[in-house]
Amino acid sequence: MNEIEELAAKLQVTDVSTDVSGVKWFTTGNLDIRDLVPVLSRAGARFVTITANELPMNQGFCLEYLWDLNGQLLGFAFYPTGNTMPSIYDICEAADWIEREIHEEYSIDFTGRVYEPLLLRDSDRTGVNLHEVAR
Amino acid sequence: MSYKLPMGPFHPGLEEPYKLEMICEGETICDAKLHIGFNFRGIEHLAETRNYVQLIALMERVCGICSFIHTLTLCQTLEKLTGLEPPPRALYIRVIMAELERLHSHVLWAGIAAKLMGFKTLFMASFAYREKVMDMLQAISGNRVNYSMNRIGGVNRDITDPDSLLKMVNLLENEIARELVPVFTSSYTAKSRCAGIGILTRDRAQSCGVVGPTARASGIPQDLRRAAPYAAYPEMEFDVPVEAAGDVRARLLVRAYEILQSCRILRQAIAKLPPGEFACNETKLSFVTGTAISRVEAPRGEVVYSVSWKENSRTPSRVHARTPTYVNMPAVRWMILGARVADAPLIQASIDPCYSCTDR
Repeated sequence: MNEIEELAAKLQVTDVSTDVSGVKWFTTGNLDIRDLVPVLSRAGARFVTITANELPMNQGFCLEYLWDLNGQLLGFAFYPTGNTMPSIYDICEAADWIEREIHEEYSIDFTGRVYEPLLLRDSDRTGVNLHEVAR
Repeated sequence: MSYKLPMGPFHPGLEEPYKLEMICEGETICDAKLHIGFNFRGIEHLAETRNYVQLIALMERVCGICSFIHTLTLCQTLEKLTGLEPPPRALYIRVIMAELERLHSHVLWAGIAAKLMGFKTLFMASFAYREKVMDMLQAISGNRVNYSMNRIGGVNRDITDPDSLLKMVNLLENEIARELVPVFTSSYTAKSRCAGIGILTRDRAQSCGVVGPTARASGIPQDLRRAAPYAAYPEMEFDVPVEAAGDVRARLLVRAYEILQSCRILRQAIAKLPPGEFACNETKLSFVTGTAISRVEAPRGEVVYSVSWKENSRTPSRVHARTPTYVNMPAVRWMILGARVADAPLIQASIDPCYSCTDR
C-alpha cells in the first residue's frame, strides 16, 4: 500500500482520481475539513493553499484545499453551504492569510475565527466580492 | 512597561512597503503584527479579463525579480490545458533562465543583507555581480527585468551562443566563490551579526508551511526541483543545501551555497543544450475545460498557479497565484519574538521578502 492509499484508507475515502496536472483529488463526500487536517498533519503533509472558484449560475463557490505530501499534490474540493466554511486556522496556522484573503475577496465566511484586514485597509469594507467588481 | 513601535509601511529598513507593528519592552520585541496589502493591484481579478497572450504579459508583472518564474509556472498550467508539450531545447532554456533568475535574486538579496549588516562594501560588490547576471539575462532575452521569454509550448528566444554564456557563468562563479561566498560563510562580521538571531525552529517552520530557503534553513529538505521536477531538472545533478539552525545565518548560508549550486546547474544545462526547435509551431491554441495546477521552485520558494479555463472562452475563469513570500512572511512574527529592535530589519529581510508577489 503506498502513502496515498494509506491516507485514503485513514480518511475512509474510496475514490481518488488524478487530474491533468497530476494532482490526486480525494472525494470529500462526508469528510469534515476539520477532521481532515489532523490526519494530513500526522502523515507529514504540508498545507499549500486554498483556491476559491465561483460556480456558474450563482451556485456558490468551490474551495479547493491543496496539500503537499513528499512532492505529490493532494486536493480536496469542498462546496460551502450558505458561503460559510469552518475555519482551520486554529489547527493549521498556515491557512491564516489565505482564509482572510478569500473572506475579503469572495465574501466567504470561515466560521470560528477572528478576522483582521489583510489586503484591504481598516477603513475598507471587507467581504466585498472583488471578483465581481473586476468584471 | 510595553510600548508599540511601528515599522513601515514606508521605512528606510524596508525595500518595499509593508508594516510591522512591534510590541516592545525596552529593546526586546514581545509580539508583532504584520500588515500587507500596500501593493495590492487586484492582478488575479484583472487576469480574468485577459486572453492568453495578454495573460502572460500581465502575470510577468506580478514580480520584478521572479518575472520569468511567474510566466514559467503560468505557461506550464496553460500547456496542460492545451496539450502542448515544449520541445527539449525549450525545457533546457527554461532551466537556464530560471537559474540565472535565482542567481540574480540571491545576489541582490546578498547585497541588501550586507547593507543591513552594516557591510556597505559587500553591498556594492554584490550589486556589481548582479549587474553581470543581468547582462547574461539581457544577452539571452534582450531584456533586463521582464524577459518575455515564455510562451505556451516553449520559449520566445533561442540561446544562440552557449559558449559565450558558459564563459560568463564560469567567470562569475569564480568571482562569487572567491569573494562573496566566503564572506557569508566564514567572516566574523557576518557570523557575529547573524548567528543566533531570528530563529525559526523546524516545528514552527512546518506549522507555518514555509517554503524555499527559509524552510531549508530550518532543517526541512524541501525543493520542488528535486521533489516534483519540471522542465529539464530531472536531468540535472545538484545538491539541496540544508541548515538546521533556523537563524539568520542559516538562511544566509543556504542562499550562499545555492548560488554555487545554481552555477553548477547552469554549466550542465548549457553543456547539454539539445539541438532542435525551441517552441511548438501551433498557431491556434484550443483550451479544454478544466483546471490545471503547476508549481515551480522560485528563488524564494514554491510558486503555485491554479488556472481554470472553459472551452471556447477567450479568457480564463480563474487564475490563482500563491507566492512564496505569502507563506514565509507570517513566520517573521515568530522569528522576531525576543529579538532586539535593532535586529528587526535584518530578520525580516532574511526571508528575502517580496511584497509585490505577496499582494499581487
